[in-house]
This record gives sequence, structure tokens and C-alpha cells, in this order.
Amino acid sequence: MMRPILLKGHERPLTQVKFNADGDLLFSVSKDQEASVWYSSNGERIGTLNGHKGTIWSIDVDPETDYVTTASADFTGKLWKAQSGECIYTWNFDAPAKRVEFSPDGNKVFFITDEVMGQIGTIKIFDIDHSKNEQSSTPVLEIKNDKGVSERFSVAAWGYGGLTIVAGHANGKLSKWDAKTGAFLGGVKPHDLLVTDIQTSPDKTYFITSSKDKSAKLFDVDKLELLKSYPSDAPLNSACITPVKDYIIVGGGQDARDVTTTSASEGKFEAKIHHKIFEDEIGRVKGHFGPLNYVAVHPRGTAYASGGEDGYIRVHHFAKSYFDFQYDVEKTAQAAEQQALDKKEQEEEEKKEQQAVEA
Amino acid sequence: MAPSTSWADAENDLPSTEVVENSDGTKTVISYKFDDKHRKVKVTQTIKLIKVTENVNPAIAARKKWARFGDEMNNSTVGPDARTTQFGEEVKLLLSTSWKQDAEKEKTEKKKETKEKVQTIKCRTCGGDHFTSKCPFKDTLGVDLKKEAEAKMAEPSSATVAAAAVAAGLGGMGASSYVPPHMRRRLNGEAPLPSETEKEDTTTLRVTNLNSMVDEGMLNTLFSRFGYIHRLTILRNRETRESRGIAFVEMDSISNAKRAIEGVNGRGFMNLIVNVDFAKPRGER
Repeated sequence: MMRPILLKGHERPLTQVKFNADGDLLFSVSKDQEASVWYSSNGERIGTLNGHKGTIWSIDVDPETDYVTTASADFTGKLWKAQSGECIYTWNFDAPAKRVEFSPDGNKVFFITDEVMGQIGTIKIFDIDHSKNEQSSTPVLEIKNDKGVSERFSVAAWGYGGLTIVAGHANGKLSKWDAKTGAFLGGVKPHDLLVTDIQTSPDKTYFITSSKDKSAKLFDVDKLELLKSYPSDAPLNSACITPVKDYIIVGGGQDARDVTTTSASEGKFEAKIHHKIFEDEIGRVKGHFGPLNYVAVHPRGTAYASGGEDGYIRVHHFAKSYFDFQYDVEKTAQAAEQQALDKKEQEEEEKKEQQAVEA
Repeated sequence: MAPSTSWADAENDLPSTEVVENSDGTKTVISYKFDDKHRKVKVTQTIKLIKVTENVNPAIAARKKWARFGDEMNNSTVGPDARTTQFGEEVKLLLSTSWKQDAEKEKTEKKKETKEKVQTIKCRTCGGDHFTSKCPFKDTLGVDLKKEAEAKMAEPSSATVAAAAVAAGLGGMGASSYVPPHMRRRLNGEAPLPSETEKEDTTTLRVTNLNSMVDEGMLNTLFSRFGYIHRLTILRNRETRESRGIAFVEMDSISNAKRAIEGVNGRGFMNLIVNVDFAKPRGER
């Protein structure tokens, strides 16, 4: 049994929720133009980041929890002081910004600008100068999508070391780019529809994608090789990889525009937990009464948060049963290992005894 | 020491608290207080202080002390604010490879339960799972519905016998199906169920030691805080109409009556300490 904490700080559907690197803070953004900062342990809201004039599509925190960036539909990206909620810099774009993420070292940030109104969808990388508030307005690198609007960037994530960027496209394609030169390093097309989310493993060597084609898939960063795939029964909006236990949590549900024509039980508004290795679905968490727009897991693997179309964030601190669950194969393997260890110890003891007798 | 009669003196009579440091690191705290019957009580507590150190990431500890900003700037609530943070219902999460089958099993079981509940509809003619009026054997079994209804009213257990009884008891009235309420139970010489009269009494409170100045309106405002008041009477002198200091208040429910006792009994009202208790049935008084 788990007792979720319900966070009702937003008036409109959540677009993204994220833990900071230590997991003590939770950042959330929604379509209501405000970002909220919460304590993840008790759900207390510390404050809000006010200043955007449109939907905030994405938020990210740097590894030290000094800075927060947001990407908004009001054609801007903003940099905030995490502690005071003060906006210290604004980047202006020609199109809505859909996604933002700090590089693993916190010295760079990328924005995805949408491909609308004659603009070309672009990944823009900026340097972050930690010594001053004023930042450079010209990107150090721009990765442009030259394949047309059907293949525009939807999501992206940094690879390990901040060396590469993996991007998901609207037509289900994945591509990999060199984060220094902007060179195209390869692409695959694992999904049939829009890639809705990419989240990396803690060490950023592999990542999971979720798609509207009702599946989530696991890839390695190096070769973009399909490692595992997790079919689901509803369009997925988000997927994350849990540390500590080898699970995958995916969230989604019937599209918002179809919700009125279906009942909640048919909407599949549940977070689904798959086993990362065995791929099977091993559990579901009910609660939201709208599609889940984002799922994020605590970096220590002790909790997960989901942001829904219903305007609620639900923070679940995992119960003991979550950590205890094991496949029969795992159990037998563990038992065999234990047996081998015991045997070894016994033999050593016997040896010692023998030596003592000989002496 | 003789028990002091004045409560004002008694309060000053308590010896001060002593704290003794023991050799084994514990502390003994001896304090005095009055219990609810105004007896002096000596409380001896042995306390051992244990320091629990917890290692917290200094960055997290620093962030715990962050001041609020943005919309929360002027929020002075300590800890989570109920306006933004609530606790949801408990969620069951049992990880297993066969969770789908388990969930389906639960569903079918639930369905079964509801089905069983539906079957509580029972035809009075044939005992089948449908309304009596829609019974397919209505004509063949030939039970007169009107008579049936009369029988039901008189004695639900043995229909035909009671129907005869009705006919006998109300012989003069002919076929009239109406039975006055006070007659219904006594048809078979039964007295009204004792529990019913008792029930009425249990929500009635007896209020004593009232100030004679207190009138119905004041009592109404005093007790209406605890629930809806059905009836309220103050006993008065027949000639002078002066209050005798006793009143009966009938509350709408037992729980509200209990709350009223808790809230008013032993408290001061118009300079007198009021006693409130359930009014006892006439026999016991």
C-alpha cells in the first residue's frame, strides 16, 4: 500500500515534473504559465516561478540545484535562480520552445524550438555562465531539422558526458547528434507515431522512449540499438527508468481530446510498471482521472511523481513490497549464489581445522 | 493535610517540580498535579535523553531552510499547506507477474457480489427473481394482490393467517385496508416495542444547576452549536413562571447529544457550573 501525496498547485494540465539531482525537490510546470517548486518528502510548495506568458512546456534543474530553466510557448526560455525564484535571463526565440535540458555538467543547455509558422524546428545549445546573470543570446550550436515538418524534433536528451544529443521526432524516428560539432551520427525509426518522451538512465548510457504508438522502447546511446521494448494498451506520454530496482514506469492514456467519449476505466489513466529486463508489465498504479503527461522517478529510486492532464501531481513514495518483488528466476539465482557462498565457507573452515590438526 | 475546600487556595497549594540528576545519566522529574476528582497526584518520571544523529546531505539540509518565494511568499503556514498539498487515498501496488489475472479475478468476484445483491428482489407469488407485479404465474397461482398487501401490513411472517386476523379484528370496518398507526402493532395484543420509546429518550439531555435567568432562547443558542434541537423545555414554577434551574433538551442524534455533554457539562454558564447528562427514563429517576 502506498499513500500518494496530491499536489494541487496548477490550474491546468501538467506538462512536466522533475526531481533535482538529490531528489529533495520537485519541479513542475503546466499550461497555466507558472512553474512550482516543491519539497518531495512532504509535498510542501516552496514557491512559484512567475514570469512566462504562455504554457510552459518543459523545465530542468542543473546538477547543483542552483539554476532552473524553463521552455515556454511564449517564444522564450528563461533561466531562474532556484533558491529565490528570480528570473535572471530570458532567451527569445522565433517559435515556441518545447523542451529544455541541462547538460550533465550543468554548463550547457539545449532548447528545442517548434516547427511552426514557417520556422524550422531547431535544437539550440547555449553556454551557461555561472559567474554572472547575463547569458549569451547566440547559441553555440544549432541543429536544424531539414526533413520537413513531419519529422520535426519533439523531444531530446543529452547522452553520457554531454557528448551527444539523442532526439525524438514527430514521425517516430530517433536521431543522434554530436553536441560539439552538430554532426548527424545516425538514426533509426522504431516508432510509428510521435515520440513523446526520452529519459536517460542515471549514467546516461541508455535511454527510454515513449510514443503515441502505444509502446515504450529502451535504446543504448552508443549504437541506438533497440535493447528492450514494452508494449502498452494506450498511447504513452512519458516513460522513466527507475534506479535501484530494474523497473520501467510508463504513463499515458487516452488522448485528452478523446477523453469525453470514454469512461475512466477505459482511459487507461494508470502508471504502468514494467520489469526492465523481462519486459513484462508487473503492476499498475491508479489515481489520475486524466492521461498522465509525465512520469519522473526520484534519483534514489524511493519515489516517483506523475503529472496528469487533470492538473494534479501525485507523488508516490514506494512501499516495501516494491523493493521486495523478485522474479522466480532471480530468487533461485540468489539462493544458488547463497548456497555456493555457504559451501565455500564450510570448505574453508574444514581446511582451517585440518591445518590446526596437522599443526 | 485536610483537603482544601476552596478551589482558589488549592491551586496555589501544589509543590514545585523537582528535577534530580541520577548517576546513570537519567533524570527523575517529580511533579504534582490535580486529577479530575481534585485529588493531588504525584507524578514521578524517569527520563533518559538519547541523542540521535542523522546524516543529511548538507545541500539538502540547506535547501530545507529556503525561504518561500513567488505565490508562496506570503504564506505563513508551517509545513505543507492544505490548499496545495493533500493526501490521496491509499493505492494498492502489489508487483507480480500475474497481476493481470489477479485483477481480473477480483473484478469477477465483485461482479458476483453485485449479482447476488440484485437477487434480493423476490416475487411474492412464486419466489422468483422479479417483481411480484411482473410474475408470469400471476394468473395461474391466483393470489389476490390486495389481500396480500393487507396481510403484509398486519404480520409479515405468516401471510394468510394474519389476513384472517385482520378480517376478524376489523370486522366492523368491512374491507377497508387502512389500519390506523396506533392499531397496527396492537392487532395481536402487542405493546409498542419498548426500544422505540427508549430511543426517543436517549437523545434527551437533562440540564441542571441552571441560572434562573436562563430562558429558552439562550439555551437554544448554547445547544444548537452541537446539532439540531428537536425540543427544549425549561421547568418553571407554575405560578411565578420562574425557572427551577432544570431543563430538558432533545437533540437530533445520540452523537450530537454526546458532544453536547462533552461541551457543556461542568462548564460555567451564566455564573453557574451546569450539569448535563442523559435524561434517565422515568422509572429509573
